[in-house]
Amino acid sequence: MKSAKPEIETLLNESAARLLARASDSRSLTRESLVPRISAAVEKYLLRNDPQTPHEEISKFVDEMQADDLCLIIACERGDEGAWNDLVERFTATVRSAARSASANEDAAEDLAQSIWAELYGLRTRKDGMPASKLAYYSGRGSLAGWLRAVVAQLAVDVFRKQSRLVQAEEDTDLDRLARDAQVGEGQPVLAGVPNPEESMSNRFAQADMQQALNKVVQELPAEDRLLVKLYYFDNLRLREAGAVLGVHEATASRRLTRIQTDLRKRVTKILIDERGWTQAETERSFAEVAQHLDTDLESWVRSAS
Amino acid sequence: MGQETNKEMDLLLQRLSRSASDSSNDGNHLDADELSSYAENALPGAARARYTEHLAECASCRKLVAQLASSGAVVSATETARVSEASALRKFLASLFSPMVLRYAVPALGLIVVAVIGLTVLRRNERADSVAQLTEQEQRKATSAQPEQAPSQSPSAGLSDNQQEEAPAVSAASRPERAKETQPAPPPNQSPSVSATADVNQAAAPTTTGAAQRAANEPVAPKPTPADEEKQKKVESEARRQEVQGRAESEVSKERATDAAKVEDRRSDDNFARPPAPASRSIASLHRNAIEEKDKSDADTRSVAGRRFRRERGIWIDTAYDSSRSTVNLTRGSEQYRALVADEPAIKTIAEQLDGEIIIVWKGHAYRIR
Repeated sequence: MKSAKPEIETLLNESAARLLARASDSRSLTRESLVPRISAAVEKYLLRNDPQTPHEEISKFVDEMQADDLCLIIACERGDEGAWNDLVERFTATVRSAARSASANEDAAEDLAQSIWAELYGLRTRKDGMPASKLAYYSGRGSLAGWLRAVVAQLAVDVFRKQSRLVQAEEDTDLDRLARDAQVGEGQPVLAGVPNPEESMSNRFAQADMQQALNKVVQELPAEDRLLVKLYYFDNLRLREAGAVLGVHEATASRRLTRIQTDLRKRVTKILIDERGWTQAETERSFAEVAQHLDTDLESWVRSAS
Repeated sequence: MGQETNKEMDLLLQRLSRSASDSSNDGNHLDADELSSYAENALPGAARARYTEHLAECASCRKLVAQLASSGAVVSATETARVSEASALRKFLASLFSPMVLRYAVPALGLIVVAVIGLTVLRRNERADSVAQLTEQEQRKATSAQPEQAPSQSPSAGLSDNQQEEAPAVSAASRPERAKETQPAPPPNQSPSVSATADVNQAAAPTTTGAAQRAANEPVAPKPTPADEEKQKKVESEARRQEVQGRAESEVSKERATDAAKVEDRRSDDNFARPPAPASRSIASLHRNAIEEKDKSDADTRSVAGRRFRRERGIWIDTAYDSSRSTVNLTRGSEQYRALVADEPAIKTIAEQLDGEIIIVWKGHAYRIR
């Protein structure tokens, strides 16, 4: 175990040398200046999950890092004026564009963009005397442009939270009231097509059972499938957008969603039969009735909303 | 049945999304590096799985990742377009062989090919006629210049009377076309050969070339007499001598050819006295072309918003641009472009006034705008 550390160090040194050789502009950086950053990224994305990660995998990980972007950022951190000028020149438009899409108006976007550059430059000073810049958090794994967009988006969320803190209490009150109304609505749906109270009651029980079972099986889904369900149903994203998050094509996301729906139905049916004592016929009928009920519910909701 | 069951589940899941909410994550959200790396699908499997677990339960991180993944897709759209160019080419090639094209365009193409072949054959015949006329003129000159030489069978003896009679008319009719052919300004180094031919063929020279002369000599001399051969040698040696002379000499020989043409009979005057004119016209056109070239080069330089641009290989390049300098590449209408012109409206003015690709040097930076 003791011999593992020098091995890792040697591996990281070699990987850093390859990264420098790969960069089109290494900005006069040395291996020594790169190794701590590479080591941090390896620790964060590989060793934290598996301390015994094979060396080949570590080498591959480093070889896939964004060599030019990482060299640029480290050079900026080290006070290279040329690198800083390049950073500003290349990414001003990216930062401004991200700020614009995260802001309500042009002034707010401009403020946000300026805040980002201040954060990147690092107006505060660390213990070692270096500026406390956000640049220290760029690992080089993803693109620098993507990282900058993420920084802008996060800062925009923080700014929004701070601004809305004052009115949060009022909003909460409103949301609570809306939630109560919704619960009342769920409990006593106003449905034009429901013929008698008994049927309405049985429907409500069926709905409740089914909803509980569905909630349970959704929670038991594999993370990737659960994420797709959340992206599509909870966040109302389109399949193309959900696919982009998962790194798959829209068609793949669509097929995957169909499979999940079929899988969920099987699991809900199993729970209703095994745990609630329903028969197969009852579950089939209830699925159809509940769906019809929800369909009518949605239609009436749309009518009342319009 | 499958669609129906999926619709039922679809409705149930929609209902679930309205009633359920994601649990909070105690403030342990993904950082910017994790978010962007996840959105770019740049994480190792195990790390990605860990973050997927978090995202499935954290609405705020999910929202950011979705936003980043979408903007990343927009950024890479240009690359996708570049990649799809090959498929666009394939599509275009496939469209060439579509049924509609095969039904209408192929017969039309066939007709065009037939017409072109017909025209080519016709023009070849015209050239043969003019060659016959040239050899006839040569014979006449030889006879008049060397009266003591016994009349012998001329190289044009192989041609029928009918051809000889038709030749002038055809030549006269086809003159404008040939004038056009010679119009593309024979370069100076070709002039000696033209003048050499002119010496031999008198005024006919500018309308034919050395190749045409060889064509005239080879097929139409079935029975060359020794006298003819001697004359031919003399002509050839004269031609070779003339070919090594410079441009000024060629001008002189052209004038001589023109003078010689004046003493020819009426028919040869009609047919060949004028050809030097196209030659002189071609010199004039050379001069004119040179002026046009100058004008064109002026037209290839423009001043916009106080900057001068020259056009090179279809790109408007700022005269202040140094090719060793790196450029920031932008596409018109892109986010980056809009951001730039918002700051620097003058760049927008330039980009609007100059079509196509532009390289602008602005405040110490070079921008390449497509």
